Amino acid sequence: MIIEASRYISDTDTVVVGTGLPMVSAMFAQKTHAPHVSFVIESGPVDPVFDKVPISVTDPSIMNRAVKLGAKREVLGCLVQRGLVDIGFLGGAQIDQYGNINSTYIGTPEKPKTRFPGSGGANDIASSVPKILIITRHEKRRFPSKVDFITSPGYIDGANGRTKNFMKVNQPDIILITDLAVMEIDKSKGKMVITKLMPGVTVEKVKENTGFIPEVASKVDQVELPTDEELKVLREEVDKEGVYLKDSLKAGGGKSD
Amino acid sequence: MSKASKRIKVMTLKEAVEKFVFDGAVVGLGGQNISRCQVATVHEIIRQRKKDLTLTGCNLSIQMDLLVAAGSVKRCECGSGNLERFGATFSFKRAIEEKRMEIEDFSHGSMVSRFLAAEMGIPFIPCRSLLGSDILKTKAPSTQKKYEMVDNPWNPGEKVLLLSALSPDVAIVHVQKADEIGNIIIEGISNHEPEMIRASKTCIITCEELISSDQTRRNSDRTTIPYHFIDAVVEVPFGAYPTMTYRYYNYDNDHIRAYQECARKGGDAIKKYLDDNVYSCETFEDYLEKAGGLKRMMELKKAMLRMVG
Repeated sequence: MIIEASRYISDTDTVVVGTGLPMVSAMFAQKTHAPHVSFVIESGPVDPVFDKVPISVTDPSIMNRAVKLGAKREVLGCLVQRGLVDIGFLGGAQIDQYGNINSTYIGTPEKPKTRFPGSGGANDIASSVPKILIITRHEKRRFPSKVDFITSPGYIDGANGRTKNFMKVNQPDIILITDLAVMEIDKSKGKMVITKLMPGVTVEKVKENTGFIPEVASKVDQVELPTDEELKVLREEVDKEGVYLKDSLKAGGGKSD
Repeated sequence: MSKASKRIKVMTLKEAVEKFVFDGAVVGLGGQNISRCQVATVHEIIRQRKKDLTLTGCNLSIQMDLLVAAGSVKRCECGSGNLERFGATFSFKRAIEEKRMEIEDFSHGSMVSRFLAAEMGIPFIPCRSLLGSDILKTKAPSTQKKYEMVDNPWNPGEKVLLLSALSPDVAIVHVQKADEIGNIIIEGISNHEPEMIRASKTCIITCEELISSDQTRRNSDRTTIPYHFIDAVVEVPFGAYPTMTYRYYNYDNDHIRAYQECARKGGDAIKKYLDDNVYSCETFEDYLEKAGGLKRMMELKKAMLRMVG
Protein backbone atom coordinates (compact mmCIF):
# COMPACT_ATOMS: atom_id res chain seq x y z
CA MET A 1 0.00 0.00 0.00
CA ILE A 2 2.78 2.41 1.05
CA ILE A 3 4.92 1.34 -1.89
CA GLU A 4 2.01 1.44 -4.36
CA ALA A 5 1.14 5.01 -3.28
CA SER A 6 4.75 6.06 -3.81
CA ARG A 7 4.52 4.98 -7.46
CA TYR A 8 2.19 7.92 -8.17
CA ILE A 9 4.92 10.37 -7.20
CA SER A 10 7.31 11.28 -10.01
CA ASP A 11 10.82 12.68 -9.85
CA THR A 12 9.80 16.18 -10.97
CA ASP A 13 6.83 16.56 -8.64
CA THR A 14 6.32 19.07 -5.84
CA VAL A 15 4.34 17.30 -3.14
CA VAL A 16 2.64 18.74 -0.07
CA VAL A 17 2.67 16.07 2.60
CA GLY A 18 1.75 15.67 6.27
CA THR A 19 2.65 13.08 8.88
CA GLY A 20 1.62 9.46 8.98
CA LEU A 21 1.49 6.98 6.12
CA PRO A 22 1.78 9.75 3.48
CA MET A 23 5.16 10.72 4.92
CA VAL A 24 6.41 7.12 4.82
CA SER A 25 5.26 6.74 1.23
CA ALA A 26 6.78 10.07 0.19
CA MET A 27 10.10 9.25 1.85
CA PHE A 28 10.15 5.89 0.13
CA ALA A 29 9.64 7.62 -3.24
CA GLN A 30 12.53 9.99 -2.51
CA LYS A 31 14.85 7.11 -1.67
CA THR A 32 13.96 5.09 -4.75
CA HIS A 33 12.56 6.35 -8.07
CA ALA A 34 12.07 10.04 -7.24
CA PRO A 35 15.29 11.37 -5.68
CA HIS A 36 14.59 14.91 -6.94
CA VAL A 37 11.04 15.12 -5.64
CA SER A 38 10.40 18.34 -3.75
CA PHE A 39 8.43 18.19 -0.51
CA VAL A 40 6.68 21.12 1.08
CA ILE A 41 5.17 20.97 4.53
CA GLU A 42 2.23 23.21 5.46
CA SER A 43 3.92 24.34 8.68
CA GLY A 44 6.69 26.03 6.69
CA PRO A 45 9.61 23.75 5.64
CA VAL A 46 10.38 23.90 1.89
CA ASP A 47 12.24 20.99 0.28
CA PRO A 48 13.46 19.23 3.43
CA VAL A 49 15.50 16.01 3.21
CA PHE A 50 14.21 13.37 5.61
CA ASP A 51 16.52 10.92 7.29
CA LYS A 52 13.83 9.55 9.54
CA VAL A 53 10.04 9.61 9.56
CA PRO A 54 8.91 12.70 11.51
CA ILE A 55 6.12 12.39 14.07
CA SER A 56 4.65 15.81 13.42
CA VAL A 57 4.66 18.56 10.81
CA THR A 58 6.56 20.51 13.45
CA ASP A 59 9.02 17.74 14.43
CA PRO A 60 12.56 19.18 14.07
CA SER A 61 13.43 16.23 11.84
CA ILE A 62 10.89 17.47 9.28
CA MET A 63 12.95 20.65 8.92
CA ASN A 64 16.18 18.83 8.10
CA ARG A 65 18.22 20.54 5.33
CA ALA A 66 15.21 22.47 4.02
CA VAL A 67 16.02 25.23 1.53
CA LYS A 68 13.77 27.48 3.59
CA LEU A 69 11.94 27.34 6.90
CA GLY A 70 9.14 29.74 6.20
CA ALA A 71 5.65 30.75 7.22
CA LYS A 72 2.37 28.97 6.53
CA ARG A 73 1.44 31.70 4.10
CA GLU A 74 4.44 30.85 1.95
CA VAL A 75 3.44 27.19 1.65
CA LEU A 76 -0.38 27.18 1.76
CA GLY A 77 -0.67 30.52 -0.03
CA CYS A 78 2.24 31.05 -2.38
CA LEU A 79 2.74 27.39 -3.31
CA VAL A 80 -0.56 25.51 -2.75
CA GLN A 81 -3.17 28.21 -3.52
CA ARG A 82 -0.97 29.78 -6.18
CA GLY A 83 -0.99 26.44 -8.04
CA LEU A 84 2.64 25.35 -7.87
CA VAL A 85 2.09 22.06 -6.02
CA ASP A 86 1.54 18.93 -8.15
CA ILE A 87 0.41 16.39 -5.57
CA GLY A 88 -1.35 16.58 -2.21
CA PHE A 89 -1.36 13.63 0.14
CA LEU A 90 -4.43 13.46 2.39
CA GLY A 91 -6.13 11.15 4.86
CA GLY A 92 -9.27 11.26 6.98
CA ALA A 93 -11.77 9.39 9.07
CA GLN A 94 -14.24 8.97 6.21
CA ILE A 95 -13.98 9.06 2.43
CA ASP A 96 -17.08 8.75 0.26
CA GLN A 97 -17.83 7.74 -3.34
CA TYR A 98 -17.19 11.30 -4.58
CA GLY A 99 -13.76 11.43 -2.96
CA ASN A 100 -14.96 13.85 -0.26
CA ILE A 101 -12.99 13.52 2.97
CA ASN A 102 -14.27 14.00 6.53
CA SER A 103 -11.86 14.92 9.32
CA THR A 104 -14.28 17.03 11.38
CA TYR A 105 -17.42 15.24 12.72
CA ILE A 106 -19.21 11.94 12.90
CA GLY A 107 -22.76 13.18 13.38
CA THR A 108 -23.48 16.86 12.76
CA PRO A 109 -22.22 20.14 14.26
CA GLU A 110 -25.59 20.44 16.00
CA LYS A 111 -25.51 16.84 17.29
CA PRO A 112 -21.86 15.76 17.28
CA LYS A 113 -21.13 12.12 18.00
CA THR A 114 -17.35 12.29 17.52
CA ARG A 115 -15.25 15.38 16.93
CA PHE A 116 -11.99 14.97 14.96
CA PRO A 117 -9.14 17.50 14.64
CA GLY A 118 -10.71 19.46 11.77
CA SER A 119 -9.28 20.53 8.45
CA GLY A 120 -5.79 21.66 9.28
CA GLY A 121 -4.27 22.26 5.86
CA ALA A 122 -6.33 19.48 4.26
CA ASN A 123 -9.14 21.67 2.90
CA ASP A 124 -6.61 24.08 1.40
CA ILE A 125 -4.84 21.19 -0.32
CA ALA A 126 -8.05 19.53 -1.54
CA SER A 127 -9.23 22.88 -2.91
CA SER A 128 -6.14 23.88 -4.87
CA VAL A 129 -3.98 20.87 -5.76
CA PRO A 130 -4.76 19.09 -9.07
CA LYS A 131 -3.76 15.56 -7.95
CA ILE A 132 -4.77 14.13 -4.59
CA LEU A 133 -3.43 10.86 -3.17
CA ILE A 134 -5.28 9.31 -0.25
CA ILE A 135 -3.74 6.38 1.60
CA THR A 136 -5.76 4.51 4.24
CA ARG A 137 -6.75 1.09 5.58
CA HIS A 138 -9.73 -0.43 3.82
CA GLU A 139 -12.52 -0.66 6.41
CA LYS A 140 -16.24 -0.48 5.66
CA ARG A 141 -16.95 2.27 8.20
CA ARG A 142 -14.35 4.49 6.52
CA PHE A 143 -16.19 4.44 3.19
CA PRO A 144 -19.79 5.61 3.60
CA SER A 145 -21.82 6.54 0.54
CA LYS A 146 -21.82 10.12 1.85
CA VAL A 147 -19.47 11.52 4.49
CA ASP A 148 -21.13 13.00 7.58
CA PHE A 149 -19.25 16.26 7.01
CA ILE A 150 -17.30 17.42 3.96
CA THR A 151 -14.06 18.78 5.39
CA SER A 152 -12.02 18.42 2.19
CA PRO A 153 -14.08 18.37 -1.00
CA GLY A 154 -13.64 15.74 -3.67
CA TYR A 155 -16.30 16.03 -6.36
CA ILE A 156 -18.93 16.90 -3.70
CA ASP A 157 -22.00 15.34 -5.34
CA GLY A 158 -21.16 14.57 -8.95
CA ALA A 159 -19.12 15.35 -12.05
CA ASN A 160 -19.74 19.12 -11.91
CA GLY A 161 -19.80 19.37 -8.10
CA ARG A 162 -16.66 21.50 -7.97
CA THR A 163 -17.57 23.67 -10.97
CA LYS A 164 -20.93 24.65 -9.55
CA ASN A 165 -19.21 25.56 -6.26
CA PHE A 166 -16.94 27.97 -8.15
CA MET A 167 -13.75 26.02 -7.47
CA LYS A 168 -10.87 26.98 -9.79
CA VAL A 169 -9.35 23.47 -9.69
CA ASN A 170 -12.55 21.74 -10.77
CA GLN A 171 -11.36 18.38 -12.16
CA PRO A 172 -8.58 17.06 -9.94
CA ASP A 173 -7.26 13.49 -10.09
CA ILE A 174 -8.16 11.70 -6.86
CA ILE A 175 -6.43 8.37 -6.25
CA LEU A 176 -7.30 6.27 -3.21
CA ILE A 177 -4.81 3.56 -2.26
CA THR A 178 -5.77 1.02 0.39
CA ASP A 179 -4.48 -2.35 1.53
CA LEU A 180 -7.11 -3.97 -0.72
CA ALA A 181 -7.32 -1.87 -3.87
CA VAL A 182 -6.72 1.32 -5.79
CA MET A 183 -9.72 3.47 -6.65
CA GLU A 184 -9.66 6.54 -8.88
CA ILE A 185 -12.16 9.24 -9.70
CA ASP A 186 -14.02 8.85 -12.97
CA LYS A 187 -14.23 12.50 -13.94
CA SER A 188 -17.26 12.00 -16.16
CA LYS A 189 -19.25 10.90 -13.10
CA GLY A 190 -17.33 12.37 -10.19
CA LYS A 191 -17.32 8.92 -8.56
CA MET A 192 -14.65 6.46 -7.41
CA VAL A 193 -13.93 3.46 -9.62
CA ILE A 194 -11.87 0.37 -8.73
CA THR A 195 -8.90 0.37 -11.09
CA LYS A 196 -6.44 -2.01 -9.38
CA LEU A 197 -6.58 -4.85 -6.88
CA MET A 198 -3.93 -5.86 -4.37
CA PRO A 199 -2.57 -9.38 -5.01
CA GLY A 200 -4.99 -12.06 -3.84
CA VAL A 201 -7.91 -9.61 -3.44
CA THR A 202 -11.14 -9.91 -5.45
CA VAL A 203 -13.60 -7.22 -6.49
CA GLU A 204 -16.15 -8.93 -4.21
CA LYS A 205 -13.88 -8.57 -1.19
CA VAL A 206 -13.45 -4.86 -1.94
CA LYS A 207 -17.20 -4.37 -2.25
CA GLU A 208 -17.86 -6.27 0.99
CA ASN A 209 -15.53 -3.89 2.80
CA THR A 210 -16.82 -0.68 1.26
CA GLY A 211 -19.86 1.22 2.53
CA PHE A 212 -20.69 2.60 -0.92
CA ILE A 213 -20.99 0.47 -4.03
CA PRO A 214 -17.92 1.29 -6.08
CA GLU A 215 -17.95 1.15 -9.85
CA VAL A 216 -15.46 -1.21 -11.44
CA ALA A 217 -13.19 -0.19 -14.33
CA SER A 218 -13.59 -2.14 -17.53
CA LYS A 219 -9.99 -3.28 -17.09
CA VAL A 220 -8.81 -3.90 -13.53
CA ASP A 221 -5.05 -4.35 -13.09
CA GLN A 222 -3.22 -6.05 -10.27
CA VAL A 223 -0.96 -3.99 -8.06
CA GLU A 224 2.62 -5.04 -8.58
CA LEU A 225 4.16 -6.72 -5.56
CA PRO A 226 7.05 -4.82 -4.06
CA THR A 227 10.47 -6.31 -4.76
CA ASP A 228 12.63 -7.59 -1.91
CA GLU A 229 14.94 -4.64 -2.56
CA GLU A 230 12.04 -2.20 -2.17
CA LEU A 231 10.93 -3.83 1.07
CA LYS A 232 14.49 -3.62 2.36
CA VAL A 233 14.58 0.13 1.67
CA LEU A 234 11.22 0.57 3.38
CA ARG A 235 12.20 -1.35 6.51
CA GLU A 236 15.84 -0.33 6.83
CA GLU A 237 16.05 3.18 5.41
CA VAL A 238 12.62 4.72 5.77
CA ASP A 239 10.73 3.37 8.78
CA LYS A 240 13.80 2.19 10.68
CA GLU A 241 12.02 2.09 14.02
CA GLY A 242 9.03 0.30 12.53
CA VAL A 243 6.66 2.95 13.84
CA TYR A 244 4.30 2.81 10.88
CA LEU A 245 5.09 -0.64 9.60
CA LYS A 246 4.33 -2.03 13.05
CA ASP A 247 0.80 -0.57 12.76
CA SER A 248 0.37 -2.08 9.35
CA LEU A 249 1.72 -5.48 10.37
CA LYS A 250 -0.77 -5.48 13.23
CA ALA A 251 -3.55 -4.86 10.75
CA GLY A 252 -2.48 -7.93 8.78
CA GLY A 253 -0.37 -6.18 6.19
CA GLY A 254 2.77 -7.70 4.79
CA LYS A 255 3.66 -7.95 1.15
CA SER A 256 0.63 -5.80 0.43
CA ASP A 257 2.38 -2.91 2.22
CA MET B 1 -0.29 54.39 25.40
CA SER B 2 0.73 54.17 21.76
CA LYS B 3 2.07 50.76 20.90
CA ALA B 4 4.43 52.21 18.32
CA SER B 5 6.67 53.56 21.05
CA LYS B 6 10.21 52.68 21.98
CA ARG B 7 9.53 52.47 25.69
CA ILE B 8 10.94 49.54 27.62
CA LYS B 9 8.39 46.74 27.53
CA VAL B 10 10.09 44.19 29.75
CA MET B 11 7.87 43.01 32.59
CA THR B 12 6.98 39.86 34.51
CA LEU B 13 4.63 37.32 32.99
CA LYS B 14 2.20 38.00 35.83
CA GLU B 15 2.13 41.72 34.95
CA ALA B 16 1.81 41.06 31.21
CA VAL B 17 -1.17 38.73 31.61
CA GLU B 18 -2.85 41.04 34.17
CA LYS B 19 -2.46 43.98 31.86
CA PHE B 20 -3.29 42.53 28.43
CA VAL B 21 -5.45 39.40 28.82
CA PHE B 22 -8.96 40.28 29.94
CA ASP B 23 -12.09 38.16 30.43
CA GLY B 24 -13.83 37.69 27.10
CA ALA B 25 -10.73 38.59 25.08
CA VAL B 26 -10.10 37.26 21.57
CA VAL B 27 -6.67 35.64 21.91
CA GLY B 28 -4.34 34.91 18.99
CA LEU B 29 -2.30 31.79 19.75
CA GLY B 30 1.02 31.24 18.01
CA GLY B 31 2.82 27.93 17.79
CA GLN B 32 1.72 24.67 16.21
CA ASN B 33 1.50 21.03 17.39
CA ILE B 34 4.79 20.35 19.20
CA SER B 35 6.51 23.58 18.20
CA ARG B 36 6.83 26.81 20.18
CA CYS B 37 3.51 26.68 22.01
CA GLN B 38 3.37 29.49 24.58
CA VAL B 39 2.83 27.17 27.54
CA ALA B 40 4.30 29.55 30.15
CA THR B 41 1.85 32.33 29.24
CA VAL B 42 -1.04 29.89 29.17
CA HIS B 43 -0.18 28.58 32.65
CA GLU B 44 -0.26 32.18 33.92
CA ILE B 45 -3.60 32.87 32.21
CA ILE B 46 -5.03 29.79 33.93
CA ARG B 47 -3.58 30.81 37.32
CA GLN B 48 -5.18 34.23 36.97
CA ARG B 49 -8.48 32.46 36.20
CA LYS B 50 -9.22 34.44 33.03
CA LYS B 51 -12.50 33.32 31.49
CA ASP B 52 -14.77 33.40 28.41
CA LEU B 53 -11.79 33.58 26.07
CA THR B 54 -12.05 33.12 22.31
CA LEU B 55 -8.94 31.28 21.07
CA THR B 56 -7.87 31.85 17.47
CA GLY B 57 -5.03 30.54 15.35
CA CYS B 58 -4.33 27.84 12.80
CA ASN B 59 -3.50 24.61 14.61
CA LEU B 60 -4.38 24.89 18.28
CA SER B 61 -2.48 22.37 20.32
CA ILE B 62 -1.56 21.48 23.92
CA GLN B 63 -1.66 25.13 24.99
CA MET B 64 -5.28 25.42 23.80
CA ASP B 65 -6.16 22.10 25.39
CA LEU B 66 -4.83 23.28 28.78
CA LEU B 67 -7.02 26.39 28.59
CA VAL B 68 -10.08 24.35 27.61
CA ALA B 69 -9.41 21.85 30.42
CA ALA B 70 -9.21 24.76 32.88
CA GLY B 71 -12.61 26.04 31.71
CA SER B 72 -11.23 29.34 30.40
CA VAL B 73 -12.54 29.05 26.84
CA LYS B 74 -15.91 30.03 25.43
CA ARG B 75 -15.05 29.61 21.75
CA CYS B 76 -12.34 28.42 19.35
CA GLU B 77 -11.91 29.82 15.85
CA CYS B 78 -9.22 27.84 14.05
CA GLY B 79 -8.17 25.37 11.40
CA SER B 80 -7.64 22.39 13.69
CA GLY B 81 -7.19 21.09 17.25
CA ASN B 82 -4.58 18.36 16.96
CA LEU B 83 -1.50 16.77 18.50
CA GLU B 84 -0.90 14.43 15.52
CA ARG B 85 0.94 11.26 16.61
CA PHE B 86 0.23 12.09 20.25
CA GLY B 87 -3.49 11.95 19.55
CA ALA B 88 -6.36 14.42 19.53
CA THR B 89 -6.59 17.47 21.78
CA PHE B 90 -8.89 15.61 24.16
CA SER B 91 -10.26 18.49 26.25
CA PHE B 92 -11.14 20.31 23.01
CA LYS B 93 -12.75 17.17 21.60
CA ARG B 94 -14.85 16.55 24.70
CA ALA B 95 -15.94 20.18 25.08
CA ILE B 96 -17.24 20.22 21.50
CA GLU B 97 -18.94 16.82 21.75
CA GLU B 98 -20.63 17.90 24.98
CA LYS B 99 -21.54 21.26 23.44
CA ARG B 100 -19.80 23.19 26.23
CA MET B 101 -17.71 25.22 23.81
CA GLU B 102 -18.37 26.93 20.47
CA ILE B 103 -16.19 26.06 17.50
CA GLU B 104 -15.96 28.09 14.30
CA ASP B 105 -14.09 25.87 11.84
CA PHE B 106 -11.84 27.20 9.11
CA SER B 107 -8.74 25.75 7.43
CA HIS B 108 -5.14 26.77 8.09
CA GLY B 109 -4.91 28.63 4.78
CA SER B 110 -8.13 30.57 5.35
CA MET B 111 -7.09 31.59 8.88
CA VAL B 112 -3.73 32.81 7.52
CA SER B 113 -5.69 34.82 4.94
CA ARG B 114 -7.83 36.46 7.62
CA PHE B 115 -4.79 37.44 9.70
CA LEU B 116 -3.15 38.68 6.50
CA ALA B 117 -6.11 40.98 5.81
CA ALA B 118 -5.94 42.45 9.34
CA GLU B 119 -2.14 42.73 9.14
CA MET B 120 -2.56 44.79 5.95
CA GLY B 121 -5.24 46.97 7.51
CA ILE B 122 -7.98 45.84 5.09
CA PRO B 123 -11.47 44.61 6.02
CA PHE B 124 -11.67 41.37 4.02
CA ILE B 125 -9.71 39.13 1.65
CA PRO B 126 -10.45 36.60 -1.12
CA CYS B 127 -9.63 32.93 -0.59
CA ARG B 128 -9.81 29.78 -2.74
CA SER B 129 -10.27 27.37 0.14
CA LEU B 130 -13.52 26.28 1.84
CA LEU B 131 -15.65 26.29 -1.33
CA GLY B 132 -17.84 23.19 -1.66
CA SER B 133 -17.16 22.13 1.92
CA ASP B 134 -19.38 21.86 4.99
CA ILE B 135 -16.92 24.17 6.76
CA LEU B 136 -18.46 27.01 4.76
CA LYS B 137 -22.02 25.80 5.39
CA THR B 138 -21.49 25.66 9.15
CA LYS B 139 -21.55 28.65 11.48
CA ALA B 140 -21.25 28.83 15.27
CA PRO B 141 -24.22 30.47 17.04
CA SER B 142 -22.38 33.66 18.00
CA THR B 143 -20.82 34.19 14.55
CA GLN B 144 -22.60 36.97 12.69
CA LYS B 145 -21.29 36.50 9.19
CA LYS B 146 -18.79 33.87 8.11
CA TYR B 147 -18.25 34.71 4.44
CA GLU B 148 -19.50 36.49 1.34
CA MET B 149 -19.50 35.52 -2.36
CA VAL B 150 -18.89 38.27 -4.90
CA ASP B 151 -18.23 38.65 -8.61
CA ASN B 152 -14.61 39.24 -9.58
CA PRO B 153 -14.92 42.90 -10.71
CA TRP B 154 -12.34 42.28 -13.44
CA ASN B 155 -14.02 39.09 -14.62
CA PRO B 156 -17.77 39.28 -13.95
CA GLY B 157 -19.28 35.79 -13.75
CA GLU B 158 -16.24 34.46 -11.88
CA LYS B 159 -17.40 34.08 -8.28
CA VAL B 160 -14.91 34.71 -5.47
CA LEU B 161 -15.15 33.87 -1.77
CA LEU B 162 -14.40 36.68 0.70
CA LEU B 163 -13.46 36.22 4.35
CA SER B 164 -13.39 38.93 7.01
CA ALA B 165 -10.16 40.20 8.57
CA LEU B 166 -9.40 38.86 12.05
CA SER B 167 -7.68 41.12 14.54
CA PRO B 168 -7.26 39.42 17.95
CA ASP B 169 -7.35 41.57 21.11
CA VAL B 170 -4.10 40.00 22.24
CA ALA B 171 -1.61 37.76 20.44
CA ILE B 172 0.55 35.56 22.63
CA VAL B 173 3.68 34.06 21.09
CA HIS B 174 6.86 32.41 22.32
CA VAL B 175 9.95 33.33 20.29
CA GLN B 176 13.67 32.73 20.40
CA LYS B 177 14.89 36.30 20.88
CA ALA B 178 13.36 39.65 21.77
CA ASP B 179 14.84 42.97 22.87
CA GLU B 180 13.77 45.44 25.53
CA ILE B 181 11.72 47.68 23.20
CA GLY B 182 9.91 44.76 21.56
CA ASN B 183 11.78 43.83 18.35
CA ILE B 184 11.51 40.06 17.93
CA ILE B 185 13.39 37.29 16.13
CA ILE B 186 11.60 34.06 15.23
CA GLU B 187 13.94 31.23 14.16
CA GLY B 188 12.89 28.21 12.12
CA ILE B 189 9.30 27.95 10.91
CA SER B 190 7.14 30.94 11.76
CA ASN B 191 3.69 29.33 11.31
CA HIS B 192 1.03 32.05 11.02
CA GLU B 193 2.74 34.27 13.57
CA PRO B 194 4.08 37.19 11.48
CA GLU B 195 0.60 37.83 10.09
CA MET B 196 -1.17 37.25 13.39
CA ILE B 197 1.17 39.44 15.48
CA ARG B 198 0.82 42.34 13.07
CA ALA B 199 -2.95 41.79 12.90
CA SER B 200 -3.46 41.92 16.68
CA LYS B 201 -4.34 44.92 18.83
CA THR B 202 -1.82 43.96 21.50
CA CYS B 203 0.88 41.29 21.79
CA ILE B 204 2.63 39.53 24.68
CA ILE B 205 5.98 38.01 23.70
CA THR B 206 7.81 35.47 25.82
CA CYS B 207 11.36 34.78 24.66
CA GLU B 208 14.18 32.33 25.31
CA GLU B 209 16.72 35.13 25.32
CA LEU B 210 16.34 38.83 26.00
CA ILE B 211 18.83 40.64 23.80
CA SER B 212 19.56 44.37 23.55
CA SER B 213 18.08 46.64 20.90
CA ASP B 214 21.67 47.56 20.08
CA GLN B 215 22.25 43.93 19.08
CA THR B 216 19.05 44.07 17.00
CA ARG B 217 20.26 47.18 15.19
CA ARG B 218 23.60 45.54 14.35
CA ASN B 219 21.73 42.63 12.64
CA SER B 220 18.66 44.43 11.28
CA ASP B 221 17.88 41.89 8.59
CA ARG B 222 17.40 39.22 11.26
CA THR B 223 14.45 41.03 12.87
CA THR B 224 11.19 39.20 12.19
CA ILE B 225 8.82 41.83 13.58
CA PRO B 226 9.72 45.36 14.75
CA TYR B 227 8.64 46.82 18.11
CA HIS B 228 5.52 48.65 16.83
CA PHE B 229 3.44 45.50 17.24
CA ILE B 230 4.64 44.35 20.66
CA ASP B 231 3.37 45.43 24.08
CA ALA B 232 5.11 43.16 26.56
CA VAL B 233 8.39 41.24 26.55
CA VAL B 234 9.09 38.55 29.14
CA GLU B 235 12.22 36.40 29.21
CA VAL B 236 11.08 32.83 29.97
CA PRO B 237 13.72 30.21 29.08
CA PHE B 238 12.02 26.91 28.15
CA GLY B 239 8.77 28.89 27.93
CA ALA B 240 7.40 26.46 25.32
CA TYR B 241 8.13 23.31 27.35
CA PRO B 242 7.00 20.51 26.78
CA THR B 243 6.87 21.59 23.14
CA MET B 244 10.06 22.40 21.29
CA THR B 245 11.79 25.66 20.39
CA TYR B 246 13.88 25.45 17.24
CA ARG B 247 17.61 25.70 17.99
CA TYR B 248 17.01 25.70 21.75
CA TYR B 249 15.42 22.42 22.94
CA ASN B 250 13.44 19.47 21.69
CA TYR B 251 9.92 18.46 22.73
CA ASP B 252 9.46 16.20 25.79
CA ASN B 253 7.88 13.01 24.48
CA ASP B 254 7.17 11.52 27.93
CA HIS B 255 5.62 14.65 29.41
CA ILE B 256 3.34 15.16 26.43
CA ARG B 257 2.22 11.52 26.66
CA ALA B 258 1.58 11.94 30.39
CA TYR B 259 -0.52 15.05 29.72
CA GLN B 260 -2.44 13.22 27.00
CA GLU B 261 -3.26 10.37 29.39
CA CYS B 262 -4.81 12.86 31.84
CA ALA B 263 -6.59 14.81 29.11
CA ARG B 264 -7.99 11.65 27.55
CA LYS B 265 -9.44 10.56 30.90
CA GLY B 266 -10.72 14.03 31.77
CA GLY B 267 -12.51 14.44 35.14
CA ASP B 268 -10.25 13.97 38.17
CA ALA B 269 -7.22 13.04 36.10
CA ILE B 270 -7.01 16.34 34.24
CA LYS B 271 -7.98 18.26 37.38
CA LYS B 272 -5.01 16.68 39.18
CA TYR B 273 -2.70 17.54 36.28
CA LEU B 274 -3.75 21.19 36.44
CA ASP B 275 -3.45 21.26 40.25
CA ASP B 276 0.01 19.68 40.24
CA ASN B 277 1.46 21.54 37.26
CA VAL B 278 -0.31 24.90 37.15
CA TYR B 279 -2.25 25.93 40.26
CA SER B 280 0.27 24.70 42.82
CA CYS B 281 3.12 26.44 40.98
CA GLU B 282 3.67 30.08 41.72
CA THR B 283 5.81 30.54 38.63
CA PHE B 284 6.60 28.65 35.44
CA GLU B 285 10.06 27.92 36.83
CA ASP B 286 8.39 25.93 39.64
CA TYR B 287 6.66 23.82 36.96
CA LEU B 288 9.93 23.25 35.09
CA GLU B 289 11.52 22.04 38.35
CA LYS B 290 8.68 19.56 38.86
CA ALA B 291 9.01 18.43 35.24
CA GLY B 292 12.62 17.36 35.76
CA GLY B 293 14.46 20.62 36.28
CA LEU B 294 17.88 21.44 34.90
CA LYS B 295 18.74 17.80 34.18
CA ARG B 296 15.71 17.28 31.96
CA MET B 297 15.96 20.66 30.24
CA MET B 298 19.63 20.03 29.41
CA GLU B 299 18.75 16.63 27.92
CA LEU B 300 16.19 18.30 25.65
CA LYS B 301 18.64 21.08 24.79
CA LYS B 302 21.32 18.56 23.82
CA ALA B 303 18.81 16.59 21.71
CA MET B 304 18.00 19.74 19.73
CA LEU B 305 21.63 20.78 19.30
CA ARG B 306 22.45 17.31 17.94
CA MET B 307 19.78 17.82 15.27
CA VAL B 308 20.59 21.37 14.21
CA GLY B 309 24.26 21.41 15.14
